Amino acid sequence: MSSHQEDLRQRIRQAIAGQPQPTVTILSSLLAVQDALGWLPAEAIEEVATRTGATINDVWAVASFYTNFRFSPPGPHTVEVCWGPTCHLLGAQAILQAVQEAVGLPGEGDTPDGRYSLKLNTCLGACAQAPALALGHRIYGRMTPETARRLVEGVNQGEAS
Amino acid sequence: MPDTLTLTIDGKEVTARPGQTLLQAALDNGIYIPYLCYFPGMKPWGACRMCVVEIEGARGTPASCTTPVADKMVVKTNTPLVHSLRQGILELLLSEHPHGCLTCHRIELCGPTDICLRHIRVTDRCVVCPKNERCELKDTVRFVGVPLETPLPYNYRNLPIEVRDPFYDRDYNLCIVCARCVRACDELRGDDAICMVERSGTVLVGTSRGTSLLESGCEFCGACIDVCPVGALVERKWKWEKATTTAFTTCPNCPVGCQMKIEVDRRGRLIRAIGDWNAPNGGMLCYKGKFGLEFVNNPSSLRRPLVRKDSHLQEVSWEEALAYTAQRLAAYKGSYAVLLGLRATNEDAYLAQKFARLAMASNAVDASYDTRPYLRRPLLEALGAFAPTGSISALAGARCFLVVNSNITEEHNVAGVPIKRARKANTARLVVLDPREVELTRYADLWLRPYPGTEHLVLGALVRLLLEEGLERKEAVGTVEGLDALRLQVQQFDPAQVSVRSGVPVEEMRRAVRLLAGGHPCAFLYALDNLAPAPAESASRAIVNLALLTGNEGWLFPLPPGTNQQGFLDMGALAGALPGHMAVDDASARQVLAQVWGAQVPDAPAVDFAGILAGVASKRIRAVQVVGGSPGLDTAVVHTLASAEFLVVHEHTLSPLARLADVVFPSATFAQRDGTYTSLDRRVQRVRRAVPPRGEERPDWQVFALLGQRLGVGGFAFASWEEVWREITQVVPLYAGVGMGSPWPLTPQRKRLLPLEVVAPSPVGNHDFPLALVVGRVLLQEGRPVQVVRSGRLNAIEREEVVEVHPEDARRWGVSEGALVEVVTPQGRQRARVRVAGKVPGMVSITHLFGQLAVQLASSEAVDPMLAVPRLEVLPARLEPVGA
Repeated sequence: MSSHQEDLRQRIRQAIAGQPQPTVTILSSLLAVQDALGWLPAEAIEEVATRTGATINDVWAVASFYTNFRFSPPGPHTVEVCWGPTCHLLGAQAILQAVQEAVGLPGEGDTPDGRYSLKLNTCLGACAQAPALALGHRIYGRMTPETARRLVEGVNQGEAS
Repeated sequence: MPDTLTLTIDGKEVTARPGQTLLQAALDNGIYIPYLCYFPGMKPWGACRMCVVEIEGARGTPASCTTPVADKMVVKTNTPLVHSLRQGILELLLSEHPHGCLTCHRIELCGPTDICLRHIRVTDRCVVCPKNERCELKDTVRFVGVPLETPLPYNYRNLPIEVRDPFYDRDYNLCIVCARCVRACDELRGDDAICMVERSGTVLVGTSRGTSLLESGCEFCGACIDVCPVGALVERKWKWEKATTTAFTTCPNCPVGCQMKIEVDRRGRLIRAIGDWNAPNGGMLCYKGKFGLEFVNNPSSLRRPLVRKDSHLQEVSWEEALAYTAQRLAAYKGSYAVLLGLRATNEDAYLAQKFARLAMASNAVDASYDTRPYLRRPLLEALGAFAPTGSISALAGARCFLVVNSNITEEHNVAGVPIKRARKANTARLVVLDPREVELTRYADLWLRPYPGTEHLVLGALVRLLLEEGLERKEAVGTVEGLDALRLQVQQFDPAQVSVRSGVPVEEMRRAVRLLAGGHPCAFLYALDNLAPAPAESASRAIVNLALLTGNEGWLFPLPPGTNQQGFLDMGALAGALPGHMAVDDASARQVLAQVWGAQVPDAPAVDFAGILAGVASKRIRAVQVVGGSPGLDTAVVHTLASAEFLVVHEHTLSPLARLADVVFPSATFAQRDGTYTSLDRRVQRVRRAVPPRGEERPDWQVFALLGQRLGVGGFAFASWEEVWREITQVVPLYAGVGMGSPWPLTPQRKRLLPLEVVAPSPVGNHDFPLALVVGRVLLQEGRPVQVVRSGRLNAIEREEVVEVHPEDARRWGVSEGALVEVVTPQGRQRARVRVAGKVPGMVSITHLFGQLAVQLASSEAVDPMLAVPRLEVLPARLEPVGA
């Protein structure tokens, strides 16, 4: 086993072991790993199975049930456009349109260059700031199509320069 | 709470038991409610909603499979509301299942290539579905009735058909997502090879990350196929064949004696085996029972007797073969031996030994394989029992299991199912004592992993620790003989010393006895693989003692090889035995038998298999008759037997031994004959004929009957198996009152603790191969990368093997973590990467995946590959650096 794989397993184990809550379940462990790595590699399924006394098929049944789990690495920039009722009423459709044009995607997914992952989020919980979007774990409110476009393009340029 | 409840279903007053569901109560009372996801024996699921009913006073239309019965319930199963709901549900189901034929009035009239006026494409027609004759969806559509035009568009899932795993074809385009297969794997088997993937509209059956079954933990038992209501899961071989004949019979592949239904097509081929849901095996089979019966269909099976003429085997008539054999055998009275193969029935065994004794004046009768007498001797000595005392159908009630050196899930598979289920439900503890990593070690609460060959010392220490901690069952030991003597004897088993020799920490042994004493009843299952006879006998005695001390003498399960070994013993066909558990060397027993038979029983010495081989070599035994099962014989044995002056072989195909014989009688396979087997837990069960003979094959007992008649010996005039059976019930009193399928009665005669001696372990290693290589096999190994590649048309596992080496040995052999080495044994060499781990110095271990074996068996060219499944062995070994 290569050291890279061993390192990955180590990070997964730490994520599972580091859960603060008293009840550790398959689901909570999967969430912990996804928080740490941004996605669930094959090793994560195995490690969660081992740590929770389940089998890989049990874990997969849970993991595949939830659409929020990723099974491939995300791009460095995850853009989540809020699709909740408040944002929707306050123009989320136009924000989504602008973001899609900015990253060059027709809908949810990863860009071919692997830089962006675009997702719809059912509610970011920032209704007072609607319409909202999130870049990574940071939420930006009161978006207009123009500010959304600049924000999304900005992260990429900021990194390139 | 009352024992029965009364309720009204469709105006009919019926009774039900509390705790039953409405659906079960209705079905029990002959009222059919359509259902798809429910399956008898599994927990209610409530997914398909086909079984909805109206209940007076209840809101809505509950599903009857999830509604418990209540007293005075008034239920209507067929109102217009229920009917329209069912139609609607069916329409939804059919929107994802090909249904052009299901909704057509010509459903039974069309052939596969007929022109369809409704433009249903050929691949969507029921007539080309392998489950067409047994489709439960079709039955349901027929019962409910669906209009010709369904309003919903048909959405073909367009999924590739999974055809690359051994034995199974899986077409999830036909799946109706009832989850029966997933639940059967989980609830009925205690496995987890498959799971539900995704959710709502896209939910389907699959495996973790879409892997093949080879790597997902599948044991290829076929339970999922048997419960699948549609054509999504089918056996690959003969999938298109339709059954014209069926018979309930007994699986011929191991002594668990699973009951099954075999299906035969119109050309007389055995096309399927399905477990009998009402038998003690509860509908379960294993890879051997489900897919290991193909030998019956061997197209090059023997059809007529063969006699060696001018040094060639030539086809002759039965008349000629029998006349020739009888004439030759007449010259070998007293120098004759008979050997019984793995699959011989009680009738074969009975007449074989009767023939040897009365016609050939010989007591050289035994099975043609190692029968492991050390498994049965301690039972006799301690309890006066001539058979395992346990009952497989009771295993589910055990609260603890001790499994010693047994690869149960591969060799006695269905006996392992209750253990896995109990572990999964956490209703019992499991202690495994085995140097090999086997499937059950993953389920174990405690896995004692000793240096191979020291198991008996560990067991001796367990007896001592049990007594030391005062964990013997007080009400049990009151009636047990020999406790004081045993207390003294076990002083020889010093836990600390045993721990040094075996590598099992004393603390683990202490934990083991606490688990054994804590779960009552505790079942003891032991095959004692890979132990030399003396240590094995010692281990067997210690286990019987453990059972007596914990009050579990009714829960002993020695696991013998062969299908019918218990029957052989009962029939007097094992070395030293006479029918009815009498002994050859007992003159009064011979007298009793002589009275029944009306003929003299020879007082010649009893000779066992090894003695027969030695006798052939030394020309003391000059004629040998071998009844089938010779694929299990190794080459050296075949050559020894062939050196006999006169060799008669009964065989289904021309095996290596048959090629060297003087006479070969074509043997009918289990599917072509009637008779009985006795399972390891004493159940006498029927073998029933379903396949017509291809030529002139006959059951083996008939050959002995005809030869006996030709030799002019009285007592061989048998025209049918029933006549043989009738005589068996007279000669073997235990069989007299026994009904088919039930065990012959066994009551322990005494409870005597067995003296224990310290037996020196037989060393595994030698000068050239100082290490002990322990080979294991499991279904699933998390954390070990598996690569699946295409090998021909099948998936195959290609992965780097890992050899676990103890740190001390790693230093001695100069290998480090991750180094590539060759593990060399006298049998061969294998490349593997070193993992420095392991607790026992001197022992290295490799664990394979069952998936590798499954591929090997599925693609095997052998006539009967499942008869000789590669065992998990312990071998002397050394490590060599790669390239040396």
